[in-house]
Amino acid sequence: MTVSAAPRPRDLLTGTVRFCRLLRARGLAITPSESYDAVRALEVVDLGDRAEVHRALRTVLATRPEEFLVFDATFDAFWGGLATAPAPPGEMAAPDAPQVNAHFPRAKDAALDFSGWTDVGEGEGEPVGLPGVSDLDSTMGKDFSSFGAADLSEVERLAAQIARRLATRRSRRLKPSRRRGRVDLRRTVRLSLTRGELIDLARRERKIQKTKLVIFCDVSGSMDLYSRLLLQFLYAMQNNLGRMETFVFSTRLHRITEDLRHASYRGALARLGDVRDWSGGTKIGESLRAFNAGWPKLLDRDTVVIVLSDGWDTGEPAVLAEALRTMRRRAGKLIWLNPLLGSPDYQPLTQGMQAALPEVDAFLPAHNLESFRALARHLKP
Amino acid sequence: MREEIRQIQALMEGAAYITDPAISTAVHLATTLRKPLLVEGHAGVGKTEIAKVLARVRGTNLIRLQCYEGLDASTALYEWNYPKQILRIRLEERDERSVSDKEADIFSEAFLLKRPLLQAITQAERAPVLLIDEIDRADVEFESFLLEVLSDFQVTVPEIGTITAAHRPDVVLTSNRSRDLSDALRRRCLYLWIDYPSFEKEVRILRTKVPGLNERLAGQIARVMQNFRRRQLQKVPGVAESLDWGAALVALHADHLDAELVRETLGCVLKEVDDVKRIEADLAAGRLSELLEG
Repeated sequence: MTVSAAPRPRDLLTGTVRFCRLLRARGLAITPSESYDAVRALEVVDLGDRAEVHRALRTVLATRPEEFLVFDATFDAFWGGLATAPAPPGEMAAPDAPQVNAHFPRAKDAALDFSGWTDVGEGEGEPVGLPGVSDLDSTMGKDFSSFGAADLSEVERLAAQIARRLATRRSRRLKPSRRRGRVDLRRTVRLSLTRGELIDLARRERKIQKTKLVIFCDVSGSMDLYSRLLLQFLYAMQNNLGRMETFVFSTRLHRITEDLRHASYRGALARLGDVRDWSGGTKIGESLRAFNAGWPKLLDRDTVVIVLSDGWDTGEPAVLAEALRTMRRRAGKLIWLNPLLGSPDYQPLTQGMQAALPEVDAFLPAHNLESFRALARHLKP
Repeated sequence: MREEIRQIQALMEGAAYITDPAISTAVHLATTLRKPLLVEGHAGVGKTEIAKVLARVRGTNLIRLQCYEGLDASTALYEWNYPKQILRIRLEERDERSVSDKEADIFSEAFLLKRPLLQAITQAERAPVLLIDEIDRADVEFESFLLEVLSDFQVTVPEIGTITAAHRPDVVLTSNRSRDLSDALRRRCLYLWIDYPSFEKEVRILRTKVPGLNERLAGQIARVMQNFRRRQLQKVPGVAESLDWGAALVALHADHLDAELVRETLGCVLKEVDDVKRIEADLAAGRLSELLEG
């Protein structure tokens, strides 16, 4: 459908600028520079051909296919010649997820109570003692749900080991070095200019690539048995690995990176106790979506994302799949750890887990120390 | 439609590239506004081809920079010919000249290895097309460096001086969307998304690029490919695979598809063993007709 007469130049300029502002209000990253390019683009296309104007503006103003939908809707609303003024910002936000009823049977929906966690060992029937070599083997295979005091130190030790390994991966980029690595011809030539003799071979070695970790831990009722140990593990990792961000979620997402940075585990738990809102069904998809919206710059190619959850999601599976897709595109690797995978007859049949499976790079168990050691292997490139 | 865009469309089709208004408009804007063009899409849909066709159409050189993880400035821009320099230093050992004279000698253009980006800037006759292929495989540091180069088309080689482009190249970047590109790079470029082709377009591409392919077979191939792409395959085949398949069928003197032929030539289209097994199972169950219907 073509517009009958081409709009006048001044109208076009103001119109385009207003259109760009409207797009920005609806979430597209448009700076004055792009607005300027949009105006220039309109100068070199056939303004009487609406489809062409649409294509041209989209080429200039949209930067990814995900933006096409919003762009098209805004374009139609704005340039369609409607008498009504464009909707004010905020009205075109993505529709809220529909109210979801929890359909899944839940074993435990009770709120988490942190106060009981620091009383380790008493009345559990596990002997408190230093783990010997034989004890170690049995600890590695023991399911977290039956952990006692002695095993906690093993968790810490393993976490420290993993953190150290993560911090020392080598990347492909090269940096100058004194003794190791490949010969750096550039520096060698410069050094030899002054002496006329090749005395020193300058070298380059592979830079250490510092991996970043972003972990999402499900702390809802169904994960209760595992959450305790997992948080212990996360606490140990956080304090050994500089570049790590930790989030927990149940119905909402909470960033607990700072809370975990504490001299003692008890202290960290005390701080966590201040975080409310542990009850209710789990909304994994919503929480991850909130992360994508709230911390868009946190993920990059050097980041490994880990989601620790049993996959019982009371939200829409499509929301979860979409959120995971976005995260995977931004991050280097996306790993899903599921404590239920430890049991041999577990099948990922819940809608949440089914939606998530195709969107992750690795799906691994997380029910005992052995599985965490296996995790370390997956964290390498 | 603007006359220039219509011309570009005609020129591209003349160079055997089946285009559409979106692509022609993007190319027109990129060359007129002098902005780089970022082309994104799945593997094998013809992203790299655009740059090649553009170079052919304008009768200019195509300079290609293939990106990969770990690609750094020296590999992309320039490097000194160290072995040659070292030899020259050795030969001039007993020479009485001063160090600065010797230095001026070995740090001259004769010892400079120009890599793609510098080549693109130092074309004497006319503006080349600079293709930066698979930029999503390079890292963020390289993207920042690239942005600097793309803003001024000016390179400073400390030993020689600043080199400015006499003719600014037309830049085309391609990405497979394996990773997200930085916002800064996206804003700097015009954006073109190339999706898998429609049935009609795929038939046209097949008939244009695979001589000897009759209409019926082209239609069948396109139909099967469309259906494959609707499935949840591990590795979705692109247009490149359609063309390979077409060429294979022509070589086998086929004029229509049957289950046996498809099974034999499946390797041209599907490159993952799980996908192959699934389709073979379908064929064994007699479901070829499903694959052939629209």
